[in-house]
Amino acid sequence: MLIGIVFIISVGAFYLIHLLPGDPAAVILGTGDSPQNRARLFKELGLNKPILEQYFVWIKNVLHGNLGTSFISQTSVWSTIKSALPIDVEIIVLSQILAFAVAIPTAMVSARKPDGWLDRLLGATSFTLLSIPSFVVIVLLVLFIAIKLGVPHTGVSSYVSLGQDWVVNLESLALPSFTLALGSFVVYYRVLRSDLIATLQEEYITMARSKGISQRRIMWRHAFRPSSVALLGTAGVNIGGLLAGGFIVQYLLSIPGLGYTLIQSIGLSDYLVVQGIVLVVSVGVILINFAFDLIINIVDPRISRE
Amino acid sequence: MFWICVGWIALNIVGAIFANVLPLQNPLFQNYASVNAGPSLHHLFGTDDLGRDIFARVVYGSRVSIEVSLGAMLIGFGLGAPLGMLAAYRRGKFDSILTAVMYVFLAFPAIIATIAVLSFWTPRSLLKIIVVVGIASVPLVYRVIRSATMNFASRDFVIAAKVQGATDRRILIKELLPNIAPVGVSFLLIGIATVVTLEGALAFLGLSVNPPTPSWGNMINESLSILQINPWLAIFPSLAMCLFLLSLNFIGDRLRAHFEVSEAKL
Amino acid sequence: MSDATTLLVVKDLATTFQTPSGPLPAVGGVSFTLKENETLGIVGESGSGKTVLSRTIMGLQPRRNVEVTGSVLLNGFEVVGASEEAKRAIWGLEVAMVFQDPMTSLNPVMRIGKQIDEILRVRLKMDRHAAKARAIELLELVGIPSPAERYGVFPGELSGGMRQRVVIATALAGSPKLLMADEPTTGLDVTIQAQILNLLQSVKDQMSMSVVLVTHDLGVVATRTSRIIVMYAGRIVEMGTTRDVFARHRMPYTRALLEGSPKVSNPSHTRLLAIPGRPPNLLDLPQGCAFAPRCSFATDICRKERPELEPSFEDGHAFACWNPLPVSQGVPA
Repeated sequence: MLIGIVFIISVGAFYLIHLLPGDPAAVILGTGDSPQNRARLFKELGLNKPILEQYFVWIKNVLHGNLGTSFISQTSVWSTIKSALPIDVEIIVLSQILAFAVAIPTAMVSARKPDGWLDRLLGATSFTLLSIPSFVVIVLLVLFIAIKLGVPHTGVSSYVSLGQDWVVNLESLALPSFTLALGSFVVYYRVLRSDLIATLQEEYITMARSKGISQRRIMWRHAFRPSSVALLGTAGVNIGGLLAGGFIVQYLLSIPGLGYTLIQSIGLSDYLVVQGIVLVVSVGVILINFAFDLIINIVDPRISRE
Repeated sequence: MFWICVGWIALNIVGAIFANVLPLQNPLFQNYASVNAGPSLHHLFGTDDLGRDIFARVVYGSRVSIEVSLGAMLIGFGLGAPLGMLAAYRRGKFDSILTAVMYVFLAFPAIIATIAVLSFWTPRSLLKIIVVVGIASVPLVYRVIRSATMNFASRDFVIAAKVQGATDRRILIKELLPNIAPVGVSFLLIGIATVVTLEGALAFLGLSVNPPTPSWGNMINESLSILQINPWLAIFPSLAMCLFLLSLNFIGDRLRAHFEVSEAKL
Repeated sequence: MSDATTLLVVKDLATTFQTPSGPLPAVGGVSFTLKENETLGIVGESGSGKTVLSRTIMGLQPRRNVEVTGSVLLNGFEVVGASEEAKRAIWGLEVAMVFQDPMTSLNPVMRIGKQIDEILRVRLKMDRHAAKARAIELLELVGIPSPAERYGVFPGELSGGMRQRVVIATALAGSPKLLMADEPTTGLDVTIQAQILNLLQSVKDQMSMSVVLVTHDLGVVATRTSRIIVMYAGRIVEMGTTRDVFARHRMPYTRALLEGSPKVSNPSHTRLLAIPGRPPNLLDLPQGCAFAPRCSFATDICRKERPELEPSFEDGHAFACWNPLPVSQGVPA
């Protein structure tokens, strides 16, 4: 199944170019169109060969870790991706830590007294946040925190790599991570809250209560784990979405992650880089979902038994 | 609260339709005498870096959001809903092949595909955006409608209609359609909200309609380079978009509660 | 028996649920006592309030929309009105419950060993190794084969009977003085039912506990209890020693229950007499005796005035009926 989907995505990524009107060679070369480049392109991909053969030449290269060399920057597509990907990973990890750290306790507070004033307040807050797109959040955050308050290292183009200075690195990624965390928090809070409320009605919660253990322990040890299946499924989809949609927060601040690189390459019509990123991100999204399915099976032994 | 939200959406739609007959300033008129002005009586929301009236541009900008979202949903539901209903009703090979194809499309990150197609399919136009976003939404609509139909396809009233010799078309339209309508409408509202957001994201990257046509996303995109000088250009279209989305989400939430459609089904 | 100390005193206990359709008196004024090492049976149809009664005695009723009045004195501790924190001190250590359905009362995503040794670790502050060793001992005590291996399995890997043994082991972990067993065999096969009941009997003797055995099946309590309470519509309609209730019952409802329960002594294919009619709607109780609409002995007074629980001439035997059966009518146990 997994291999099948990856295969189909590779076909999709490859033939994307043939679905578009115009000369494929011109699209691939983009602004890097020159006689030397054209000669190299025909040699590498064999554009005059049958289209099926072109695909096999390409996929063989991809499987050897060779995504081609950009006709514009003349650097290997794979090395471009390799230097950008860790930034996406860092932003996603930071945002998810933040989102879970806030969503889990607040969902528990809400589920303890559904329709209590705290639950209503959190519900209204999450509902409002649900309606604010992340690009609006990042624009407003940059406007108020970086520009109006002038907090250092949070503005445009202040990205510093982790190896260079980790404190400044964290500061420069604070706003994008917070933005993604906000969106994730809303989804996680709502999913976990409704599942916790259902779980707390279960007989085994009454049984746990009859052991004389604290409310906190019942929440964390007895109710949380059986309530987290939908949360994990949602998290898998959401994190995949963040990888694919990472350009939103990177673009404004010029943080050179995959998303930003993708947009840059689109602007330059650097087809091979776009194709490589589409492929890597698609496979990444599928792997993330697959990993979360595995985690779900561990968390809830009922699922693998069915 | 529900009716306030309905009213707000209605106001937006009316504004979008009648923008040219309303007493608004020309959204494309550039007045270099008052550039980046703050809100005033003459310019309610101020002016942008080319001296254009932001209020007029926000009202006209709602056109793009509404056109793209309605157009895309027309394609998404036009293709996805009949296919989903038919697949759930017929089952068998037709269903399994179609569902497998749709799930493959679902596995492909739609936003990346949309961006990739739109960026290399030039020159861009409103119609192309509608087509690309609409097709990207087909598998989502298909999945929701198919599972909603499945819930009803084997119920007694459908079997009773079959026994009485009703045609498939009649069963699909008269028996099944009214029952899946609540799920369909709830998902339509979510879909519209998603497309409005997506248009904003595309515009944010400069992949929406070409300037100088105003759209909420375009205006936010234009504001990025002058955020420091003129924050109003970012704030007003953002606010317009958020209120529009909030109203849609609120209406959808109330309808789901009313029709007892669970959030997990969508 | 009579000189044993009293463990539990229940007086005028009433539990009322606030529902959207009005107050629902699930338990409507119940009084009885229980001595140490005694086994008491509470019998009634489903909906008679016996499950709510057993939970209210522990103070384990739902936390919202419930009103409890009266008094429950459990080994000197007043349960009614006590805070959740205060009740936690007695839960598990003074009183524990064996729940009805082992399919839903065990946490499906927690290893059974962890569910058993939770009380040992959290309440008795035992270290991990000691708690594990004790949990395995308990698994052995409740008759689970190869207990050390079973310690780490999830409930889904066990049969219903095995799960109920785990539930019992969990309840026993804190060595409670009182064990509430709420329909402990309802969801199980008939052959397993007897095993579980015998197990309860043997652990009761080994650990010298008092047991309250709640059931709808008089056959279950016949040989295993010293006293029986018969409940109908949230109230006690008859109570007494097991022997008296079986042999010299006075309340027509008790007889209907007895005739409805299968007996080994009956010839096979004996037709079981189901009680005609349905239990009353607690939201809309009749003015007089709640059983009157289904009772073949009912007279005008039964429909007008509710009979109080009155002592019979035997020791501790009482019943609530305007037209009691003559003593000789009793069916010998």
